[in-house]
Amino acid sequence: MAYEIKREGKEIFGDFKPELIPNECGGDIDDYEEALHVLMKFVGSMSSALEQVSGRGANAIVYQAGKRMGHEAGKMVEKTDNLEKAMQELSEILGAEFYFDMWKPAGQEGYTIEKGDETVVKLIFRDCVVRQTLRRTGLPQKGPLCYLLYGYTVGAVEEVMDIRGKLDIDHVGPNACLKTLTIKWSGK
Amino acid sequence: MVEIEIDENACVGCGSCVDDCPNDVYEMDEAKNKTKVVNADDCMACLSCHEICPAEAMEHKNIHVAKRLYIDRRVNDILNKII
Ligand code: SF4
Ligand code: SF4
Repeated sequence: MAYEIKREGKEIFGDFKPELIPNECGGDIDDYEEALHVLMKFVGSMSSALEQVSGRGANAIVYQAGKRMGHEAGKMVEKTDNLEKAMQELSEILGAEFYFDMWKPAGQEGYTIEKGDETVVKLIFRDCVVRQTLRRTGLPQKGPLCYLLYGYTVGAVEEVMDIRGKLDIDHVGPNACLKTLTIKWSGK
Repeated sequence: MVEIEIDENACVGCGSCVDDCPNDVYEMDEAKNKTKVVNADDCMACLSCHEICPAEAMEHKNIHVAKRLYIDRRVNDILNKII
């Protein structure tokens, strides 16, 4: 027998069968907004606690977690060794919440630079849920949570292109962050 | 194409934007002791300069403005009503 706590707002009571989930369970947009704020706070405090406990090791742990997710996500799209196509697919994998473009300084001819068996390309992340979460929680950028996105991006690119990848942070800002993606063609 | 405008009346000539911009978009105009835009083509709209400028002296036009889902619209609506 449950003791019902009094609260404002309407809860849903009714019959439940797996194939007959009440429509109202979908919630409305305000519910999503609230849930997002709670989630951002949770993830933010988890990241800062992780950093407190494990120090710099936190970055490596989160990077590995992101990389694993990236590899899994990369399996869902077609493999290619064409960088432009791979970036297009990466943008589909990362989705609208991680909106990025390739970037180059105005004086540089192409978007890629070849260095021996490596290709280097700069990516500008314009929208990023991680950045939003950090700012929501008052945490600095470049911390463990950012490594989740680096790992995710590297994992996805490695999977799609069948190469070894590396992502370095050039600059983080409140409206966009610049990263350098290095692709090592000599493989895994 | 990004356009950057500096409000010279607001700029206090601290040079923080010159030091902070990763793409050397600004330079100090020593004669005026104000910042000036010398390389807008290399601006990537990170808006770090907006964050560091103590005078809110710059405006970036025609840039992608990132989503800010963390901003509580309800709180802002209330603030808009009273401020
Ligand atoms: S937005 Fe970023 S790149 Fe553009 S001028 Fe400001 S600091 Fe430099
Ligand atoms: S940071 Fe702001 S006040 Fe300082 S020099 Fe740049 S524009 Fe002027």
